[in-house]
Amino acid sequence: MSFLRLEGLVKRYGDFAAVDDIELSVEKGEFVSLLGPSGCGKTTTLQMIAGFEEPTRGRVVIDGKDMTDVKASQRGIGIVFQSYALFPHMPVAGNVSFGLEMRKVSKDERKRRVMETLELVHLQDFAQRFPRELSGGQRQRVALARALVIEPEVLLLDEPLSALDAKIREDMQIELRSIQQKVGTTTILVTHDQSEAMSMSDRVAVMNEGRLVQVGAPYDAYEFPEDLFVSNFLGKTNLLEGKVTARNGDKITVQIGEAELEARDSSVAVDERVNVSVRPEKLHLTAAEDGRLKGQVLTRIFLGNHWVYQVQSSIGQLLVTQQNTGQESAREGEEVGISWSVDGIRVLVGE
Amino acid sequence: MAADTARTRVLPPYLLSAPALLLYLGLFMAPLVMTLMLSFNSFDFYKGILPGFGFGNYLEVVTDEYFHEVFLRTFGISLAVTLLCAILGTPEAYILHRMRNPWKSLFMLAILGPLLISVVVRTLGWALLIGDSGVMNELLLGAGLIDKPIHLIFTTTGVIIALVHVLIPFMVLSVWASLQKLDPAVEQAGLSLGASQFTVLRRIVVPQVMPGILSGCLIVFALTASAFATPAILGGRRLKVVATTAYDEYLNTLNWPLGAAIAVLLLIANVIIIATYNKVIEKKYAQAFQ
Repeated sequence: MSFLRLEGLVKRYGDFAAVDDIELSVEKGEFVSLLGPSGCGKTTTLQMIAGFEEPTRGRVVIDGKDMTDVKASQRGIGIVFQSYALFPHMPVAGNVSFGLEMRKVSKDERKRRVMETLELVHLQDFAQRFPRELSGGQRQRVALARALVIEPEVLLLDEPLSALDAKIREDMQIELRSIQQKVGTTTILVTHDQSEAMSMSDRVAVMNEGRLVQVGAPYDAYEFPEDLFVSNFLGKTNLLEGKVTARNGDKITVQIGEAELEARDSSVAVDERVNVSVRPEKLHLTAAEDGRLKGQVLTRIFLGNHWVYQVQSSIGQLLVTQQNTGQESAREGEEVGISWSVDGIRVLVGE
Repeated sequence: MAADTARTRVLPPYLLSAPALLLYLGLFMAPLVMTLMLSFNSFDFYKGILPGFGFGNYLEVVTDEYFHEVFLRTFGISLAVTLLCAILGTPEAYILHRMRNPWKSLFMLAILGPLLISVVVRTLGWALLIGDSGVMNELLLGAGLIDKPIHLIFTTTGVIIALVHVLIPFMVLSVWASLQKLDPAVEQAGLSLGASQFTVLRRIVVPQVMPGILSGCLIVFALTASAFATPAILGGRRLKVVATTAYDEYLNTLNWPLGAAIAVLLLIANVIIIATYNKVIEKKYAQAFQ
């Protein structure tokens, strides 16, 4: 029996379905990300879990209790908002203590728990500061402490890191994940940043146009995308259109332009039109005569730990990434060979 | 050379602001200074205004109990109107803030509407409404709810009601402006932490719009203390405030110097009250807001 269940959740605004029949089960202590482009309905879903939006249809069930008609203030859910939404007229300790005051916790108990939670987010020395005297990362932690101090059954994070700059964001990702594991709160993160979703969560739920497209562990969703949208949205990929020309057991041959490609797939039929997805890191550059395909390097970009190449080949332009191993890399204009392993190729049906 | 460039840097701002400065000096400062000078002159019933310099008029105002009463009444009314405007205008602004269009625009127009009509016309409207044989009393008498008319016109209560109506748009606008700066997620944060809607208003929304409420209070207080038309029409002959008393001295007794002294005293009292108020507020909110 899962801890948090969204059952057939629908939110309509007039004719427009912002959220369209979402089914999701989250285990106790699990960290799940709702991932999707802006306007995909992920924030609306979060608002319905929190109780700020009323679902048109469907139910929100937490720990076996139907929460659909329960007021937001009675749900016992901790939320970290995108804008942090700290109370600017209260010092840090006042912000964190507010939820406990509402729960009529005694003064001594309140003080102890506020300090405990501030220690958890490493802000014990900032209790008397006002929010405007803190940096973005510190405000973020106050917001987290304020949500965690009430020991919520579910923690909702609404794009919590999007307002931070890149370096701090990475540090906070690691810290947020470790705090979540320490306190073991069931957590839903809403984000449009696929690397954020993949690095922090146990499972990602990819959303598009109000629907859940794929739910799975980050590795599975990345390696085995079920459709074009997911393969495109999670990381970069080379998408090639082709036609299945032959089948031999679970091996198929796909014709792409002049070239033929081998792949593993059990579902598509011969003569069916398919899309083939190959991740840039699954492609390797070799000497011109060694590869499965010939190509010419158009541009290359150095990113420190790896190189990104744009290679013109007979089946179109391909994106190739290669670890920076310290060896000489292919130069722009150079003739190269491209090679891959058959297991790195995914066949997708659909537009 | 250096002096030259220094001069060309200093002069243009003064030249550019000269027209506005002259207008300000001519239209605002000159009458004020002339009023101040006038207040030191004296007056004789047969000979009129006598030039000279003395504090006789001030002494008369400070020692005469009639003027004490007028000043106290004026600031009493101002305080009451300010409090009522804050109590009514703050929720009004919040409700307006939470409304959606087209209702928002419609109600905004209804609130700001009074500002588009002359104060005199509006006040005469109130006189028709609350007069002893006015619409309100006729209706209530007709419905048998009261035996004799509720006496509001020519009373302090009547003046306060009408002034609140006249001045509440300033309070609403002031609070509304600071509500615009409020992060909507802050209210949701309060709710998610278990606070009721009322607690969210009291502990989270009101403290954040306090600067708006306080500056609204300042505007309303200053405007009430110097209000003329409403107390003149609804207060009648006996219920005098400072502005109407000064008017009487000028136009009825023709004692211009005394009228000027009253006006100057009102200005000084207003400035002292507003400056003190600002000082106290600034101190209180320096830490959380800037």
